[in-house]
Amino acid sequence: MKTKSRFPLVAVLLVAIPAFAQFDQFKKALDSVKGTPSTGTKNNTTDTLNALGQVGRGIAGIGPEEEKNIGDSVAVEIVGKYGGLVRDAAILHRVNLVGRALARYSDRPELNWRFGVLNSDSVNAFSAPDGWVFISRGLYALAKDDDELAGILGHEIAHITGRHALNLLRGSNIAAGGAGFLATRSNDARTANAALQNFDSGIDKVFTGIVEKGFSADTEYGADKVGHSLAAITGYAPGGLRAVLVQLQQRGGDSKKFFPTHPPLKERIARLPDEPAPKP
Amino acid sequence: MGANSNPEIEMNPRPALRLWPAALLLAAVVVVADAALTAGGTAYTKRYKTSLLAEPSPLAKPTGEVPFAQQLKIVEMKGNWLRVSAGPNGGWVFAGSLTDTKPAEIKGTDGNVLLASATTATAANRPLSEEANAYAARRNLGSARVDLDWLQAQCKGFTSADVDAFLKAQKKGEFQ
Repeated sequence: MKTKSRFPLVAVLLVAIPAFAQFDQFKKALDSVKGTPSTGTKNNTTDTLNALGQVGRGIAGIGPEEEKNIGDSVAVEIVGKYGGLVRDAAILHRVNLVGRALARYSDRPELNWRFGVLNSDSVNAFSAPDGWVFISRGLYALAKDDDELAGILGHEIAHITGRHALNLLRGSNIAAGGAGFLATRSNDARTANAALQNFDSGIDKVFTGIVEKGFSADTEYGADKVGHSLAAITGYAPGGLRAVLVQLQQRGGDSKKFFPTHPPLKERIARLPDEPAPKP
Repeated sequence: MGANSNPEIEMNPRPALRLWPAALLLAAVVVVADAALTAGGTAYTKRYKTSLLAEPSPLAKPTGEVPFAQQLKIVEMKGNWLRVSAGPNGGWVFAGSLTDTKPAEIKGTDGNVLLASATTATAANRPLSEEANAYAARRNLGSARVDLDWLQAQCKGFTSADVDAFLKAQKKGEFQ
């Protein structure tokens, strides 16, 4: 019985100590940014309340500014790793119109949606927070029509609306620290460096999660389902994504060769409704 | 594993009965998941402003306008169109313009709650963030940054009116 009664106290301490340490660390950082310790004056009190708000938001979630900072930085990494962007006006036009048509009916229709084609023969697609969607040149070439393209883009849009990449940062200091704020305004080099390191390690975590490890199988199946519904409500043939996956499977593709960061093609196909491929 | 490794199963003559609660729970979850946007149910707006129309057609007269994250009652369905009511307001909305889940609240730089739709709308078409530019410099990814600047500039050329025209010409979305 004693063990049971002690557990909540231990749990509270486990949560409270890091949280207090985090706030204390942040308050010191804030003081160093201002150049003077907080004295309890009106301005300092306001700043401290703002800092509390930032810490609170960092624990609870990531706000729009952080999402943009993270998304833009992850996009830089993706484009850097996959050969840059294809600068073809006709391709860009098509991808953006189909993508934006889908995004209009997504759960975040007013996000700043941007669709680009990576200059890579690999067969893959990625998304980064704040509305960045990328499809490789290899996969783009396989999409026979707009229905199949919509199936691919719908899946990536679902990752963004579901905040899947941002969820990888749960418990990370990237949001709590306000990296840009501290790094650009702090006179304390150590504080600035620590904030930058937090930010960079957060980007590494997201990039690794998206590009190397991939999301969990269930997250991918969920994105398939949401993307399928999105394509359907927008008016594209709902079998578009399935048709692309079947095509890859028929080419002898496996999960290592095609969509290497996604679950096996066979599993993904089995979970999608058995709808006819879009008519040419 | 030996035959006696799980005595609990051997002692229960009808183990299938124990699965009923789980099966019922699963069924309930499936029903809830499939209950999205049905007549008599609830829907939420997900744009900064959503127009209610007199007819289930994108060219119909507006009867009113509802703000972001407004809860609506679904009165009737007609294909992909929903007739909804929001207090004294009522009208038709394309199903793709609504969601079955209340949009999440997000917080601004001051920690106060902001409307997600409003904040993201004002963020549209801003250049790459200073943090991302600095990150690209630290990681020697200047070429990727230039590519993204180019993409960002190209994307500024795609307006909401372009998407409207595309949907209309392709008979997609509410123009199906």
